[in-house]
Amino acid sequence: MSAQPIPHDAAPKAGRTVIETRGLTRRFGGLVSVNNVDLVIAENETLGLIGPNGAGKTTLVNMISGTLAPSEGEVLFEGQVINDVPAFRRAHLGIARTFQVMKPFHGMTVLENVTVGALFGRNGGQKNMADAREKAREWLEFTGLGGKIEINADSLGGPDRKRLEFAKALAMEPRLLLLDEVMAGLNPVEVTEVVELIKKIRGQGRALLIIEHVVAAIRSLSDRIMVLHHGEKIADDDPATVLEDPRVIEAYLGKRRQ
Amino acid sequence: MKRFILPAAIVIAVFMAFIPGFASDTMIQFWINALLLATLAQAWNILGGFGGYVSFGNSVFYGLGTYGTGIAMATYHLPFGVGLAIGVVLAVIGAAVVGLPILRLRGPYFAIATLGLNGAMLAIFSNLSIANKNIGLVLPLTRNDTMFYELSLGLLVLCTATVWWVSRSRYGMGLIAIREDEDAAGTMGVNATLYKVTALILASVFTAVAGGIHAYWFTFVDPASAFDSTLNVRMVIMCVFGGPGTVFGPVVGSFVLSAVYEILAAQISTAAALLFGLVIVLAVIFMPRGLADVVGRGRALSWRYFVRNITENRL
Repeated sequence: MSAQPIPHDAAPKAGRTVIETRGLTRRFGGLVSVNNVDLVIAENETLGLIGPNGAGKTTLVNMISGTLAPSEGEVLFEGQVINDVPAFRRAHLGIARTFQVMKPFHGMTVLENVTVGALFGRNGGQKNMADAREKAREWLEFTGLGGKIEINADSLGGPDRKRLEFAKALAMEPRLLLLDEVMAGLNPVEVTEVVELIKKIRGQGRALLIIEHVVAAIRSLSDRIMVLHHGEKIADDDPATVLEDPRVIEAYLGKRRQ
Repeated sequence: MKRFILPAAIVIAVFMAFIPGFASDTMIQFWINALLLATLAQAWNILGGFGGYVSFGNSVFYGLGTYGTGIAMATYHLPFGVGLAIGVVLAVIGAAVVGLPILRLRGPYFAIATLGLNGAMLAIFSNLSIANKNIGLVLPLTRNDTMFYELSLGLLVLCTATVWWVSRSRYGMGLIAIREDEDAAGTMGVNATLYKVTALILASVFTAVAGGIHAYWFTFVDPASAFDSTLNVRMVIMCVFGGPGTVFGPVVGSFVLSAVYEILAAQISTAAALLFGLVIVLAVIFMPRGLADVVGRGRALSWRYFVRNITENRL
């Protein structure tokens, strides 16, 4: 990697379990995209999810956020099975995500985009427009978009769009935040900025799931790393152990190591 | 300029309340039609403009409104108010029953599904004996165009006030989020089905009342004119011409188109429909986001805006 090494923070103390999957499986016709995956993330814990393209990472996130129904297995949020809970209600429970293909609301300004998150997030969000706008402003400041709130979301550049995705998800005040490749397509300097942003989020009591290709970044951010390969979990341990695992290197890192 | 729009609209609405005092009978009749059409376009705007769902089923609510009033007044000799209420109840039930299954469909599939509704209702009411089958109903005659004018104006004001509220409320933000990206809206906590169905119900209320007023004014109801899909096409055209998803666009758009049509029909009756079509085609090419977008640009507007619209649409 060309980016300067990012020091690994001491892991925050993990609390009670926020999200859990048991034997989660998704088939598309004959293809098993996610196969029998068990996953646990506690509050204040960050799980890094890596794996080659097509390993089933986004499918797994889709099943947790509720946009895709599992073929088998269970998703549990704070101990309750939520398989039949629709996506919008999972948002009310406290699950938020960003999208790999960024999805800003085109006809809206940056502020309005984030206001939607504040209006509809956890517990149904703020009922009052003024309160929601105020909260949206705070999260835009937090993510470094404070100076661009009145701009149309379409006119934002790549890195700012990533920040917008963050702000939208954070305005929902989630208990579980799913970050799907928020560093893809960013240059090393921008990656460092996003890493700093995630570090700030980590200290706020949430459970975090980060899908990422930038190994240096994910090593420094994760308390644990889970590796998917052809839909199966092949490793789930602390970053150092996982990244030295020969199976992981063979499946994924072998091709990428320089 | 934006903060003058609301006061200006209120002044215009108050002024319009006095039009029957000095205008000719023909003029008042033109305005009753224009006001009712504007209400239909504005009601369509709630789900179509804000929620992004193109409905061709709104004319069904119009038909239920006309028949609610028609059956109540002609068959059961009930007062006009009761007829309106029956029409609204029928339309709301219709919107809920139809909306729940059909609003699960997206984009063009939703539009196609709603297209079938007119035909179905036409067949039902053509065979319903309390609606006098396909012969139609004759309502008691009331020669009071001023009353019909004021009722129509009041309904349009109420409908526009509702849309104004939608445009600045949590509810409206949810609808716009659905329009821009329904999946993203869902993962952010917007109950899309509930929002879409309530938008359709809200639209059905105003549409049905407009139908009821028209039925009593016109004193005649028959299946073909009550469930007329071209009326729905006009709602869409007027709303899109004026500016979908805006508060005053659909109103101004339908006034302008009503006037254009009236002038064309008076000058050259034979080619009026053709020229009217031409106006709409040109409008869609040069200002696809409607009059509201053109006016909203204010002084920044130049011929480049229209050229850009053409190139963006790859024409």
